[in-house]
Amino acid sequence: MPASPEAFFLPATTAAGGQRFCLYHPAQGASRRGSVLYIHPFAEEMNKARRMAALQSRTLAQAGFAVLQIDLHGCGDSSGDFGDATWHGWIEDVLQGCHWLRERHGKEGSQANVPLWLWGLRSGCLLAADAARQLGEPCNFLFWQPPAAGKPLLQQFLRLKVAGDLIGGQAKGVMQALRQQLADGAAVEIAGYLMAPGLASGLEQSILVPPTLMAQAQRVEWFELTTREDASLSPVSTQTMGQWQQAGFQASSHIVQGPAFWQTTEIEDAPALIAATTAAVSSD
Amino acid sequence: MDINKEVRRILDEVLSLNGRSVAFTSDTPLLGAIPELDSMAVVTLITTLEEQLGLVVDDDDIDGATFATFGSLTDFVSGKLNS
Repeated sequence: MPASPEAFFLPATTAAGGQRFCLYHPAQGASRRGSVLYIHPFAEEMNKARRMAALQSRTLAQAGFAVLQIDLHGCGDSSGDFGDATWHGWIEDVLQGCHWLRERHGKEGSQANVPLWLWGLRSGCLLAADAARQLGEPCNFLFWQPPAAGKPLLQQFLRLKVAGDLIGGQAKGVMQALRQQLADGAAVEIAGYLMAPGLASGLEQSILVPPTLMAQAQRVEWFELTTREDASLSPVSTQTMGQWQQAGFQASSHIVQGPAFWQTTEIEDAPALIAATTAAVSSD
Repeated sequence: MDINKEVRRILDEVLSLNGRSVAFTSDTPLLGAIPELDSMAVVTLITTLEEQLGLVVDDDDIDGATFATFGSLTDFVSGKLNS
């Protein structure tokens, strides 16, 4: 029987201010095996992925991990509008989430030195890597469908506007106009989300490069979902993961059968991903 | 690669059609006829085609005619893969 998570507002200590909506799933069982911070993906993908994030968080809590889910600035139930959010501000939110987990860990009096995992989905993986560079302590990474870079994610997001206009009948030149608007320092409105230039540029420049190794045996568990039977890691993922291995990380890749739940039309489950993730994180 | 089969599978996955795409013929209308194919689904479809079939779609390629029917979409994909 899973315990219910604690919902609360975390006052932001960052320049953006306001408060961040958080869900904390305390670790169940006698000893905590680790702390996990979930970093959600971008815009509509965050909403589509809510159910899977909640299911995985509960399962990890049952397996002895303390999990914090934080809604980043301007997202979900946190303060601010999406249009106020910047990439830099989101990194600060991630860092604050890490600090909160560490403090809470101390208060709960669990044994020291359990690993901190940064668990990202899609653009959340990029934020995890960017935040880890400023964290000042070693952490492990749990990547769900990590992009090698933010640039294609931005293009995909801008294409929503093109596709919307396509259905309305006129799509030519829309992309160029959007990019010009951002370059001029103006926000663009896409699929109901106002996107500030500071978010677009941060996302576009972010690449999934490893931070400096801070301890022995820092781990990366890399998951990709597929509906094909004979799937293997894509060439770009193989190359990116190789960079993490070269940097000294213990990286393992996992190809799991399941739908791309962060973008499917219906809200879908990928139970194989939850089982494989819990097994990977729990293994020593 | 069986392009027809791959495009059918990707459509089914992206639009959560639960196997309805099996009945698609080249004349089956898509854009404007399948309610699941909204702007977000169009983008997901393009991205999934790019990622899984290894083709590159230019922004200028995103045209209503491409997504008009199942046949026009498979023609577009074959054209991209053969170019």
